[in-house]
Amino acid sequence: MDFSQPPGENYANPKTCFFHVLFKAAALAFYILSALFFNNFVVIFVVTVLLSALDFWVVKNVSGRILVGLRWWNEINDLGESVWRFECLDQESLARMNKKDSWLFWWTLYLSAVFWIVLGIFSLIRFQADFLLVVGVCLTLSIANIVGFTKCRKDAKKQIQQFASQTIASRVSSTIQSAFSVI
Amino acid sequence: MSNSYSDSIPLNASSQSDIDEIENLINASVQSGPATVLPARPLSPPRASIPVSTSPFIQSNIPPPPPLSSSSSNQKVPYVPDAPTPPPPVGNSSSILATGFGPTPNTLTEPVWDTVKRDLSRIVSNLKLVVFPNPFREDPGKALRDWDLWGPFFFVVFLGLMLSWSASVKKSEVFAVAFALLAAGAVILTLNVLLLGGHIIFFQSLSLLGYCLFPLDIGALICMLKDNVLVKLIVVCVTLAWSLWAAYPFISSAVNLRRKALALYPVFLMYVSVGFLIIAID
Repeated sequence: MDFSQPPGENYANPKTCFFHVLFKAAALAFYILSALFFNNFVVIFVVTVLLSALDFWVVKNVSGRILVGLRWWNEINDLGESVWRFECLDQESLARMNKKDSWLFWWTLYLSAVFWIVLGIFSLIRFQADFLLVVGVCLTLSIANIVGFTKCRKDAKKQIQQFASQTIASRVSSTIQSAFSVI
Repeated sequence: MSNSYSDSIPLNASSQSDIDEIENLINASVQSGPATVLPARPLSPPRASIPVSTSPFIQSNIPPPPPLSSSSSNQKVPYVPDAPTPPPPVGNSSSILATGFGPTPNTLTEPVWDTVKRDLSRIVSNLKLVVFPNPFREDPGKALRDWDLWGPFFFVVFLGLMLSWSASVKKSEVFAVAFALLAAGAVILTLNVLLLGGHIIFFQSLSLLGYCLFPLDIGALICMLKDNVLVKLIVVCVTLAWSLWAAYPFISSAVNLRRKALALYPVFLMYVSVGFLIIAID
């Protein structure tokens, strides 16, 4: 699990990448190793869930913004309705994002969820409902982030397409207008 | 007035968005209210002008151009520049740093501290709104507007830890049971209210039920420190009553009158069972 030491090339934000991976890896590592070494469920639970919650926070607030330029959150508007917001950078900035950064971001996000699912299956097989609880909580947090950022990305692509088509339309109309203004 | 983008955006697009955020922050602080809700088409008429030489903070209520485009998932509420009503932790820290680097901050540490401080202060303010007497309790929707789940998470874990420490045997089961009971209970209670036709937002209600555990946390702490049964009984009764008092207005205002008891009784039941757990642990 050596994500933080990639071969060779340049990450644009190595510190952010490091933290992005750190808490995920720490939660998984702690869970796996502690189950082998000592038997105190409460400590395992609290530490693992805490690390997972920290990871959730870091991904949502810091690395999502820095590595891929996406963010999502929930607001309650004046009418008392809950609104989910998804935001992305404009296309130019998105294109400038470091490819390695975003590769790391997405892959670790998906992989950590997969690992938790695998661990969940193990604990199911062993009939350990306690540990299933831990896995359940961590999985929920990972999936929440995945869903949030994937929705951001989909919206981003849709908007980019809209933007592209409308920009072309507006440029055409502006050149026509400037042509007319000259007359 | 020309409608073209290119000649009215002198700065590069990413710093444009940063400036937008800062401007909106300033505008909103001037307007002292939730920012004017702007028509939210991602492609709106561009700003009239942004003089490069003078301060960039001149503009206007024109919705920001696409650089920072957003969409709401149900297309209901237009894009509200997020700086004034700080959304859950994300927005402000980047708008606080007017670096012109785009909406992402310069260093890792600076925004993290800001965000952490903001989160903590939100937990404290939510706690004060829910659990202590204050003028907003009559309008529950407004009171927990900035719901967050960190407070409830800490309180539930804390309660589980207290119960687990007080238990002399089977510590881990006690913890797991307490956590699962509280988490599942909160979800089920929320579903109950929703199914009764109540108007409450899922996460807001989860957040509320979590915050209302705070008095029971205090009760559990006291019970852990003093082992006398009578003291425990009194403390738990007092804190239970406090919890129920805290939860009552939010739940009862969410459902209509005839179903109030149906919505409130399960909440009562859950808190009473937690109270019994606290008393009975030895």
